[in-house]
Amino acid sequence: MKALNRREFIKTTTTTTAGVAIIASGITLTTYAAKPQESNPVTNEKRWGMLIDTNKLTETDIDDMIDACQEEQGWGSEILSTGDQKSGWIKKIKVKDTATDRISNLALMCQHCEEPPCVDVCPTNASMKREDGIVLVDKHLCIGCRYCMMACPYDARSFVHEELTNQKEHMPRGKGTVESCTMCVHKVDKGEQPACVEAVDSDAVIFGDLYDSNSKINQTLKKIQSTQIRADLNLNTAVRYSGI
Amino acid sequence: MNRLIIVFLSIMLSSVFAYADQHIPNLGKKATEFKDEGEKAHKREGMSHAASLILQRKMHPELLMHKRDKTLRQGVRGGYIQLKKCIECHTSVDENDEYIPINSADQFCSTCHQKVGISLDCFSCHRTTPSKEI
Ligand code: HEC
Ligand code: HEC
Ligand code: HEC
Repeated sequence: MKALNRREFIKTTTTTTAGVAIIASGITLTTYAAKPQESNPVTNEKRWGMLIDTNKLTETDIDDMIDACQEEQGWGSEILSTGDQKSGWIKKIKVKDTATDRISNLALMCQHCEEPPCVDVCPTNASMKREDGIVLVDKHLCIGCRYCMMACPYDARSFVHEELTNQKEHMPRGKGTVESCTMCVHKVDKGEQPACVEAVDSDAVIFGDLYDSNSKINQTLKKIQSTQIRADLNLNTAVRYSGI
Repeated sequence: MNRLIIVFLSIMLSSVFAYADQHIPNLGKKATEFKDEGEKAHKREGMSHAASLILQRKMHPELLMHKRDKTLRQGVRGGYIQLKKCIECHTSVDENDEYIPINSADQFCSTCHQKVGISLDCFSCHRTTPSKEI
């Protein structure tokens, strides 16, 4: 065989690589084309969040939010579970200022922390945070140990204590796993708003991308005074409250 | 010894081919309609229909598991592999025009599994009938 000098070697290897690359890209292109469209993975360019104005949010609004959540996700009709066993993805909480006795009503659900304690304690990686900040339970990996329920400062998670049938198609739920607010991830991925946000007519609840400086939630948060519940824990929640 | 191995391997292979073109009877309502219309379900680009079906038969656990992780962890939705779509096509209907749960005995997602001795836990969470009424 003729010995190649450096220049010739580079020339031939480059052409071969280029050739292979062209053919290979053709192959991947056709295999992709064969599949019906899948959506793209979510990225950390967004962070979904919610702002709840407790001055504007009436008690009936909160009840509407709870009803909408139950209707959308199919929880709340468990028959065998009692008391604390009952699911509660979103709850009505009364907070009282002990000095003035002023009472405000809060809608409390998973706060979708940036540093979620539930994710830290999960032994199977089932508790997880998506790139766009939504905290979920991957029920496929959940073994039902309930550490996450104990770690959560907001008591936002529930455990399914009984066998279920006729679940919602987009929200499989079953005995022995932990569940909580998903920020209606199946709707958000389609560009819609969470069911509880849609249920409130006024702008007492705003949903949107916290990072997007053009979004209503970002602009409102810049303007008005708001707070995180248990801000002292430094969890940097995605659900913010104003008026408390 | 080598001969024994060859005999053993050919018995294993022949059992695969023996089932290769034998269809399970209850494909499900929509899937049956689909097939009767001459549509080639599960056909993949660059592969014959028969080969695509074998791939579906052999690889559906991997396809499903892969997709479920992508859906939950990365928010990838839609596309060709979705458990709800399998159920939409492969659920059968009884005499009273009601859906039979897809995981009950001798239904699509259980016939083969009964044979190979697998029980799925998927349907403790995932609904077993299409959500749309007939
Ligand atoms: C403990 C409950 C639970 C069990 C058991 C379970 N899943 Fe899921 N599954 C879910 C949840 C919750 C989702 C998320 C739905 C969403 O976000 O849209 C999901 C989503 C999926 C998806 C993506 C959505 C779709 O419809 O295609 C696939 C695929 C899937 N599961 C497959 C399986 C398979 C296969 C099994 C059995 C091996 C299984 N799951 C068992 C709860 C469960
Ligand atoms: C569009 C309707 C449709 C959807 C959706 C669908 N199937 Fe099918 N499937 C069919 C039809 C039709 C056949 C029979 C094809 C034939 O024999 O020509 C079939 C055949 C199969 C077979 C081979 C059965 C055999 O004869 O050995 C398997 C396994 C299968 N499907 C699994 C699945 C799984 C798993 C899913 C979900 C990811 C799914 N199918 C979704 C229509 C569908
Ligand atoms: C043509 C026969 C056939 C049909 C129809 C079929 N399966 Fe399977 N399935 C199998 C076989 C065989 C295995 C075992 C594969 C293995 O162990 O490698 C299996 C394994 C699985 C597994 C993995 C189970 C485990 O514990 O690892 C899942 C999940 C599954 N099937 C889902 C489904 C669903 C959902 C349907 C209905 C849409 C379905 N299958 C219909 C033959 C079938």
